[in-house]
Amino acid sequence: MGNALFIVWRESAEALLVVGILFAWLRKRPDAAVGMRYLWGGVAAGIGLAIALALVMLGIASTLSGNGLEWFQLAMTAVASGLIVQMVFWMRRHGRTFKRDLETDMARNAGAANWWGLLIVVALAVGRETAETVVFLYGLGADKGGITNLPIVLLLGLGAAFATFWVLQQGSRILSWHVFFRVSEVLLLLLAGALLVSAVEKLIALDVVPALVDPLWNTSALLDDSGRMGGLIASFTGYRARPALLPLLALALYWTLVWIFLRRSSGRHAPSTLVKSHGAHPVPRAGRN
Amino acid sequence: MKPTTRLKRPLVFVAAALLASGALAQEAASYKLTARDGVFEPATIEVPAGKRFRIEIVNQGKSAIEFESRDLKQEKVIPPGGKATVTINALKAGEYRFFDEFHEKTGQGKIVVK
Repeated sequence: MGNALFIVWRESAEALLVVGILFAWLRKRPDAAVGMRYLWGGVAAGIGLAIALALVMLGIASTLSGNGLEWFQLAMTAVASGLIVQMVFWMRRHGRTFKRDLETDMARNAGAANWWGLLIVVALAVGRETAETVVFLYGLGADKGGITNLPIVLLLGLGAAFATFWVLQQGSRILSWHVFFRVSEVLLLLLAGALLVSAVEKLIALDVVPALVDPLWNTSALLDDSGRMGGLIASFTGYRARPALLPLLALALYWTLVWIFLRRSSGRHAPSTLVKSHGAHPVPRAGRN
Repeated sequence: MKPTTRLKRPLVFVAAALLASGALAQEAASYKLTARDGVFEPATIEVPAGKRFRIEIVNQGKSAIEFESRDLKQEKVIPPGGKATVTINALKAGEYRFFDEFHEKTGQGKIVVK
């Protein structure tokens, strides 16, 4: 029972993190009502995606033949990774300009352009892992002894999910906005890096790219990536006890680029350089873009 | 005349490559792995080094399993009564662990490459 509960919670943790952070962030925006519609639209689309994927995994709808499912999962992972990074930088640009957003319709439109990106990020975060939970729960339900357990696991699992969501929302209230936003950024960027590692590993498994050196080293004595704690850390940071060279290079390149762009964007006191602003705030040049 | 031969040559190569890859795919040895509610049978699979191979996983248990291996870069959810095949690229000698993420405590196994 405890194991089942942990699995349901773990599989939904990624979705909760993404939805929770975006929810807390959107609430502060002047156009929260619009954003929330896309957020919940994304959740609904994600649940639809999860059910469709679960049907494929259960072999009920096998429209994806052979490696089809693997390729589809690879595409979802890669797109999610990229969109989460884009989302973080979008939030950065608009997080500090709430006031200005109200003042200039221009910035508002630029923000609106990313609502669909937000919807897709949420749908992928919800859909990818929830599909596995659906199959897991199906297994519980299909088992005779499990039928009695299923409603309890479902209820407790949902309870744990809401508790996590609530903690995130409290975090946004208790912590200063600045701190909450920083922590959120770090968590999302770590997650995007982990998804990138996972996508590269899927490419290696599909024999599209070589692993180069595999494994490069072995740190499973320090932190095993197959245990509960290590497993969680692995799926949220991209940690591997026995990493291959190529995913590691990808992760190193990822963090180098993120670091460069973070430095650039925090160096700007006027984030309006990226949101074409006309009027009072002159665009600093100095050839930075 | 010349343009056609120039065209044909790559075609021959492509055909040869396709045949070769087809032959390789056929050669890949296949190993059976049965999962039963957190128990892998066999828990240890021995395979030769440097050769691609396949693992046919059959879930004979009453619960879903998730065949996962960070060492082998595989992740596959299999419902009760379901089957799945994973293809593993050529490996160096050594031990590669896999586990059932839905039954972590007992569902452990390894591939020994020699």
